[in-house]
Amino acid sequence: MLLHNRREMLRTSALGFGGLALADLLAAAEPAPAPRLVGARDPLSPRAPHFPARAKRVIFLFMHGGPSQVDTFDYKPKLIADDGKPLPFAKPRVVSSATGNLLRSPFAFKQHGQSGAWVSELFPHIAKGVDDLCFIKSMHGSNSRHGGALLELHTGSDTFVRPSMGSWVTYGLGTENRDLPGYVTICPTLTHGGVNNYSSAFLPAMYQATPLGNAGTASSLATVPFVKGTTTAAQQRLELDLLADLDRERTTASDAATEGRIQSFEMAFRMQNAVPAVQDLSKETAETHKLYGIDEKATENFGRQCLMARRFAEAGVRFVQCTHSYKWDQHDNLKKDHTNNAREVDKPIAGLLSDLKHRGLLKDTLVIWGGEFGRTPVAQGKDGRDHNPHAFTMFLAGGGVKAGYSHGATDDYGYFAAEDKVHVHDLHATILHLLGLDHLRLTHRHAGRDFRLTDVHGQVVKDLFA
Amino acid sequence: MRIGFLSAVLMLFWVTCANTPVASAAPPDATAHFEKKVRPVLVEKCVSCHGPDKQKGGLRVDSRAALLAGGERGAALVPRKPAESLLLHALAHDGELKMPPKNKLPAAEIAAIKEWVQSGAPWPDSGATTSPPKSGERVFTPEEKAFWAFQPGKRPPVPKVADPGSRVANPIDAFLLAKLSGTGLSLAAPADRRTLLRRLTFDLTGLPPTSAEVESFLADETPKAYEKVVERLLASPAYGEKWGRRWLDVARYADSNGMDENLAYVNAWRYRDYVIKSFNVDKPYDQFVREQIAGDLLPDSTGAERADRLTATGFLVIGPKMLAEDDPVKMRMDILDEQLDTLGQAFMGLTLGCARCHDHKFDPITAKDYYALAGIFYSTKTMRNHTVVASWNERPIGTPQSAAGLAEYEKKVTVAKATLATARSPAAAAVAGFAVAPLVANLREKLAAIEKARPPAAESMAVEDAKGENLRVHLRGNHLTLGVEAPRAFPRIFASGTQLSLGSDRSGRREFAEWLTRPEHPLTARVMVNRIWAGHFGAGLVRSVDNFGRLGERPTHPELLDWLASEFVSVKWSVKHMHRLIVTSAAYQMSSTTEPAALLKDPDNRLLSHFSRRRLDAEEIRDGMLAVSGLLDPTAGGSLLKANPRQYVTGTGSRNYDSYAHNRRSVYLPVIRSAVYDVFQTLDFPDPSVTNGQRTATTIPTQSLFMLNSSLADQTAEAFAKSILLVKGDDTDRVRGAYRRAFGRSPTAREEARVLAYLRNSEEAADPKLTAEGNRLRVWRGLCRVLLASNEFVFVE
Repeated sequence: MLLHNRREMLRTSALGFGGLALADLLAAAEPAPAPRLVGARDPLSPRAPHFPARAKRVIFLFMHGGPSQVDTFDYKPKLIADDGKPLPFAKPRVVSSATGNLLRSPFAFKQHGQSGAWVSELFPHIAKGVDDLCFIKSMHGSNSRHGGALLELHTGSDTFVRPSMGSWVTYGLGTENRDLPGYVTICPTLTHGGVNNYSSAFLPAMYQATPLGNAGTASSLATVPFVKGTTTAAQQRLELDLLADLDRERTTASDAATEGRIQSFEMAFRMQNAVPAVQDLSKETAETHKLYGIDEKATENFGRQCLMARRFAEAGVRFVQCTHSYKWDQHDNLKKDHTNNAREVDKPIAGLLSDLKHRGLLKDTLVIWGGEFGRTPVAQGKDGRDHNPHAFTMFLAGGGVKAGYSHGATDDYGYFAAEDKVHVHDLHATILHLLGLDHLRLTHRHAGRDFRLTDVHGQVVKDLFA
Repeated sequence: MRIGFLSAVLMLFWVTCANTPVASAAPPDATAHFEKKVRPVLVEKCVSCHGPDKQKGGLRVDSRAALLAGGERGAALVPRKPAESLLLHALAHDGELKMPPKNKLPAAEIAAIKEWVQSGAPWPDSGATTSPPKSGERVFTPEEKAFWAFQPGKRPPVPKVADPGSRVANPIDAFLLAKLSGTGLSLAAPADRRTLLRRLTFDLTGLPPTSAEVESFLADETPKAYEKVVERLLASPAYGEKWGRRWLDVARYADSNGMDENLAYVNAWRYRDYVIKSFNVDKPYDQFVREQIAGDLLPDSTGAERADRLTATGFLVIGPKMLAEDDPVKMRMDILDEQLDTLGQAFMGLTLGCARCHDHKFDPITAKDYYALAGIFYSTKTMRNHTVVASWNERPIGTPQSAAGLAEYEKKVTVAKATLATARSPAAAAVAGFAVAPLVANLREKLAAIEKARPPAAESMAVEDAKGENLRVHLRGNHLTLGVEAPRAFPRIFASGTQLSLGSDRSGRREFAEWLTRPEHPLTARVMVNRIWAGHFGAGLVRSVDNFGRLGERPTHPELLDWLASEFVSVKWSVKHMHRLIVTSAAYQMSSTTEPAALLKDPDNRLLSHFSRRRLDAEEIRDGMLAVSGLLDPTAGGSLLKANPRQYVTGTGSRNYDSYAHNRRSVYLPVIRSAVYDVFQTLDFPDPSVTNGQRTATTIPTQSLFMLNSSLADQTAEAFAKSILLVKGDDTDRVRGAYRRAFGRSPTAREEARVLAYLRNSEEAADPKLTAEGNRLRVWRGLCRVLLASNEFVFVE
């Protein structure tokens, strides 16, 4: 019912923003501006979930390319024992490339923390915090190609253009700070679906992610489109005042749409300050920079993304995605490239998790880590692995999930998810549930039917809940 | 003890002889085995989805009869034949169907069930349960058959208007007044002529009127002044650019594939230009539809016509596709589905895509109807192949000479490739020994030289007929679980006896196109007149312009819709005639000023008691800014896409498509799927991957940021300012000049005073880094930016 009303409102009314005093707007924004609540008629205003939420916001750390589960978190002693032997069962009906025999991981595994979670030597920093993590070892998806798999992970469909996960979340919950976009994606990929991985598709445009740069932009330079111009602040203020006066001169009482537009110029003016303020990492201590690895060349780029993510989350942004761009696709050079990739993200991710925890943000922030699929335990060439949507590992942290827990399992070699399988649709249902949203009720009518993030699938994995 | 031992031996015997039929009746132990080892597993692990509450896949497993009857995939159980029992394959997870889906049963439980099947599947109390009903051909309910959209259109009589004081310019007004009568509302007063001209010019051409056009119209006091302007605008090439673009929204036009492999469609622009030309020459709509579905199969008289008709079928090819799908059958079915979904919505306002996995839940379209129609397009070649990365079909559209040149070239390439392959073969190496390497190198060079000399040949994205084949129904949309054959046919609900009987010699596309454009087709004309109406009034008579089904909206004025549809067919589907009719109605010429009573009684303006104000769409804003600033380049047609054929237009690194620095009309800018021009994205340009007949107008802060900070706003404001600074006289004259140019009117005294105050304040806030001249430009650029960003500019009253 609530959502139905929201739909009605979106359709029939223009945005009417709560009135805001001009003096307010000129106040310089501090590093992380306090959430600014807005009027009830705004379709992006915060909304009550369907049931009490465990998490209020999401930070999704996306590893584009497909990290190998058997080289990171899914320890398979039998794969080591049977290195070089043929796979003793059939390979999937549809594969992306030809592969050979079993290939053991070139990385050493050790158990860590109280939980005794196995982590390979690729992630020494993340390994220290495994007791905060909730691993899903039995992830699986439907598509063996990057494009399909990326789209399925981000939108629930590997075939058609559908609203992205973050769009659904923002549609369901609104956002807590209207001086900032409700859903941001930092340095998103331009390929394998590009914008469609964060678009709102047929949901209203306000639920689309605001991209900060793209995969080709250094994160230090990534920002919101059109947020910087050539006009000085003083001149711009004169122009905005003139614009508002001329617009109001012609406005009649019934003009919701035109009044909404006048307000949106003020919001844009605030956003021009607020976005760069959140992105300005110079206000953070040297210690924090170090924690995220911003002081080191290898980790600087992703470290900045992670620190920005924390600042956006803190400032009330509902859904933040960081993308470690298309690097994890090791059809060959597995040892060298997985080592480099892991080095770039290990410290920043560990830094983000401990910083969130330290600030008390982890309890209601759901952190998600993973790629679009895993990799085969059988070799492609001598030192590579092919795409594998049949098994991969993701981990969650904070936001009401069990800490120091591992869910599901793959077969002896890590080729197929075997126990307590979690499909991407199930993950989506679970994420929405943690945010207080019922994936069956979060719907939008379009082209003759009610659409959901989970389409006709999805089961909430309650075992993950703390 | 002895009996126990014997039964254990027997069991072992059954298990080891799993595939040998056992002739004798199941011993009593088999029943006990069932009760102990089989029934509990079925109850615990299966019945929650396949029992009294749910029957997933149409299957119940709570009786022997139910298992024998099976579900959508056929019998689940063949007693004594475990290898033929789907149940056991599902449990073994050895095929597409895996049960239970999350966790495979322990091996011991599977073995127990296998043993039970082998023993004849005894089920003591089974006789009581009847088998579940099997789904047969769906029978449409009387309600479904009576649904308004499937009824043939009639030409209703034009209502008599009682009040002689009413303004009735044509039957449209009579229909609207009839609906308004008794509501206390009526048609609003006529809009003032300047407002009307701006409305009409934007609606028909997507551009603002020039100040000269405004002046000449205001000065023309002849009775037909308005009609003259209508004719001038309909004859302008800008008309096709505006209305062609509206069709391109419906046709989900783009210059790249999008999705996973975002390859350049370097020939898509030919389809776009074909659409624009079709609107400009007022091509009869039925012909326009036939050409897009089956242009390649229609008889033609000239080479140019042939080229046009091949190009028209680009409609079927320009959709987004997963070109890197490892399963070629799935790829093919997905592409097919995208075509059906698009053409269903575009031409009939029907969401056919819903029937891919099951009978349509709301409309009388069955899965069999879907696959019957799908067979027609399955028998059509849209793709050259379905292997990763797949290629779409393109056909030469040049003269016979250039086609011959291309054929000659292809022959040469084939020969050179074959020669090279022979030289590289092991046999050749065995004969010639070490001398092979230089020969191979030489042949490679030759091949490269031949390929480089490819004669230039114009090609269009186009389809062609393939072998005619019927499809089988795909259960749950899955190509691995096939149901009954669906002979190619039109959807049953409105086939009305004109069914097809198609062999392998043809696809049936031409027959489908003819069927779709019969004058009595209940949807084709209605859907299109509704699109035209929506283009003028901001909303259709059926507001869900792409969905005329049960979940779509009902027409607010069904008689008017039918009258318009009938009129459309009777004037040989002339789109321009419909524009003329609509824009010369009194209703179209009403003011947008809203009475409080109207807002209260009819907040959505469904009764059309006044004209609905609308925000300009993305292209109109950009084109309007360029036009007012004098930068607009009116050159028509051709491609601005900077890409080689099939080149990746977006990539993983810094490769993004950003070649939009043109001053041509927006319709000519490349549309890159997955990376639409950021100016367009900001201004609600629809996703070019899906049909979209209705633009939305959101108000989001990024639009304001665009107006404040974008380089397009900078450039247009600056060019506008420079031209205003050339106006002779004082600042007041220049302010008036700017207003005339932007809005076709002079400022009011209050506006003038406010703008002059801005000029003074801005001059005082001089930027010391700029010269006096630079500061002056800054001040005026600011004013021009404000005028272009104002509500008066971006809304049409």
